[in-house]
Amino acid sequence: MAARLAGGTALAMLGLAGLAGAAAAEPLKVGIIEPMSGPDAATGELYVTAARYGLEEINRAGGFNGEPIEILLYDNGGTAAGTVDKFKQAVADGVRVIFQGSSSAAAGQLTADVRKHNLRNPDSRLLYINDGGAALDLTGDKCHFYHFRFQAPAPMLVGPLVEAMSEAGELGTKVYSINQNYSWGRDMETAIRERAGDGGYEVVEATLHDVAKIQDFAPYVARIKAAEPDTVLTGNWSNDLLLLMKATGEAGLDVRFGTAFLDQPGNIANAGETALGHYLASTYNLAAGDEAFPEDYKARTGHYPVYLEPRVVIAARAFGKALEAVDFGGGAIDVTPIALALEGVTLETAMGPVTIRKEDHQAVMPIVVSRVEKGAPYPVDGTDMGFAPVRTIPGPEAVYPVQESCEMQRPG
Amino acid sequence: MRRHHLLLLVLVALPLLVLPPFLSLGLQNTLVSMLVAALFAVSFNLLMGQGGMLSFGHAAFFGIGAFATLHLMLAVEDGLGVPTPLLPLAGGLAGLGLGLVAGYFATMRAGVYFSLVTLALAELLHTLAPQWDGMFGGEAGMSSMRMPWGGLVFGSVLEVYYLSLAWVALCLLLLWAYTRTPFGRLTLALRDNEQRVRFMGYDTHKARLVVFAVSAMFSGVAGGLLAFSNEVANYTTFGMPVSAQVVLHTFIGGSTVFLGPVVGAAVLTLFAFFVSDLTRSWLLYQGVLFVLVMLYAPLGIGGIVELHLRHMRELRWRALAGPYLGAAVAGLLIAAGFVFVIESLAVLFSSDYAVLRRDAGGLPPFPFLGTEWQPLSPLTWLAPLLAMAAGGWLASRAGRRIAPLWDEARRVHTQGGETA
Repeated sequence: MAARLAGGTALAMLGLAGLAGAAAAEPLKVGIIEPMSGPDAATGELYVTAARYGLEEINRAGGFNGEPIEILLYDNGGTAAGTVDKFKQAVADGVRVIFQGSSSAAAGQLTADVRKHNLRNPDSRLLYINDGGAALDLTGDKCHFYHFRFQAPAPMLVGPLVEAMSEAGELGTKVYSINQNYSWGRDMETAIRERAGDGGYEVVEATLHDVAKIQDFAPYVARIKAAEPDTVLTGNWSNDLLLLMKATGEAGLDVRFGTAFLDQPGNIANAGETALGHYLASTYNLAAGDEAFPEDYKARTGHYPVYLEPRVVIAARAFGKALEAVDFGGGAIDVTPIALALEGVTLETAMGPVTIRKEDHQAVMPIVVSRVEKGAPYPVDGTDMGFAPVRTIPGPEAVYPVQESCEMQRPG
Repeated sequence: MRRHHLLLLVLVALPLLVLPPFLSLGLQNTLVSMLVAALFAVSFNLLMGQGGMLSFGHAAFFGIGAFATLHLMLAVEDGLGVPTPLLPLAGGLAGLGLGLVAGYFATMRAGVYFSLVTLALAELLHTLAPQWDGMFGGEAGMSSMRMPWGGLVFGSVLEVYYLSLAWVALCLLLLWAYTRTPFGRLTLALRDNEQRVRFMGYDTHKARLVVFAVSAMFSGVAGGLLAFSNEVANYTTFGMPVSAQVVLHTFIGGSTVFLGPVVGAAVLTLFAFFVSDLTRSWLLYQGVLFVLVMLYAPLGIGGIVELHLRHMRELRWRALAGPYLGAAVAGLLIAAGFVFVIESLAVLFSSDYAVLRRDAGGLPPFPFLGTEWQPLSPLTWLAPLLAMAAGGWLASRAGRRIAPLWDEARRVHTQGGETA
């Protein structure tokens, strides 16, 4: 039932396959489950665009198993029930690999769904490429062999952020931690506290607040002001980051922000000059990378890759590289060898090599710390501001230790 | 009239029993969602349609039912000896419990104030759930697995479907039986004139509380069935979309008829199944459908069907056939024109078209429905507008011919009623 957006290309390739005659090969079906309607559609759209771009790249290189990969899109509307429904639909459509990332809540459900499905259906197992869910327990308590995470959870971002800011002499010794009160925000707060010793700072105060509900951050800014920090570290995203920064600017408070989601489209345009000098830790920065990728991306999708898009492309490319190492000779597809191959992949990216940690299937990705500056390459949101790379920390240095709660059962 | 109902029931029940094994896995899943939505909508309508209390936060009871069932399911996984088919019972009990507590406060007030209290309650749980890991599993939610019982594995969708069907049928029967009891009649009186009920010596607060709790209980069972089928639940189950969805189902299906909400739930669930992956504008179409039903058929689909059944004998079907056909054609024309315009706009504003536009350096023709359309050509936009205009004209003509026939049928019906 899903819209076969691969449309034209897939049809053309099917035509070719038809010409080739006995093309009984099983095409690999990849489902992308993201919100494409409802309030989270804007983020979902980015995930879909980037995943499609990456998967179509595999198809241009010849597809898999003698067929182009079939890309199926599923709109989960951003809800729990929608995610489960679309997961079931994907299974019904014969999907073997799922790409999803736009929410940790959906990721938590999906990874459990995939685990259960694989227990019940050992003959048609699924592989779940999580290209966004950052909650630590996805590679902890909930980890399993068929889940791979291409996203940097809180400790992986906070470490490099603190290191680079402190090296640039802009961290100071007093840090204020303000985060959203759910697993991500709490993970951030824990990571900020844990890094205090190495980073040579003191957490003067830590605040957790409601998620996506606060319209006026003035009271929080007043508390920040009273604590007199040098730097505010926050994992806030969307309005919670934007309104916080704006309220800080309006209060005339001169503090540096260290963030994880400042590059979300619209943030810089909305924050304006207030954003200048703030820091961002992320998994990619166009300005530090090869120029061919953004240009090709723009030629195919209409815009430079932003925010989460480069990371999703990395996930798809790593997946593609794993496929190269597997050959079913046109026969039935089993995701277990694909998963095993993915464990051994080393993907060279413009930021540095990306590998997979076998113990919990966390992608060991380089983290790049950037600073908002005028005149930076690839200015964003139609402003003259952009993210100037400050420092890139290699994956093995950035990555957090394997969590003890992860008890992965390997196949065989 | 009763015989028609029975016939209709058999017509609906038989395919539900016989068909599913032959349907695709996707449709089987959708049917389970449909059953859950139907039970949820009917229990919501006990409060709204029969009790006259419009709850904007029914997701609270639906969600609590889901979580309670998951907790029990986890306990069964650990060896508790509860038969798997009885799991949704936990949902019912949790719904009843929360319904009694929340209902005590909510039913102190009527009208808008009642709605606001229920809205606040659901929002309270929606905010609380992602932060209470032990009870609701944080924002990632809880997950469990159905355990085999009595020779049944409960691994396949079909097993889940038939169990859901049994539960929903049983609950609908109980809810229907409720409407036949004296208390069920009192519920209607509460809606129509609460003051009068009070003057008759009833404690209306208590009476309303009972209605509220019963509705919450069955909503809890529906939530329990969802958890049983999905084996996961998270805090978004308490969200506004869930509360809004049940209102939508009930109003589109018709709140004046007992099975109206079932019709609404069925229509919209199937609509979502078939349309949500075809177009990203499907929520818009759902909204337009809601507005149209409210404007032109406030009784809802179920209400319209029931109206026709009631006037079965008095209506002059042969005379109606022509205008009805005309109205159907008119509806199709308007829908086709509207969908064409919306989908064309969706294409024009898409990122794929942005690429085309940049490559062409102007406004290139856009691909839609297998052909290319010129965005600036009047033909592209005139055709759908003409279709809509023609549809509108046809609809008003058909409407003018239908109205007198209905007036006549109503007149005959009331006269018949007087002589009988």
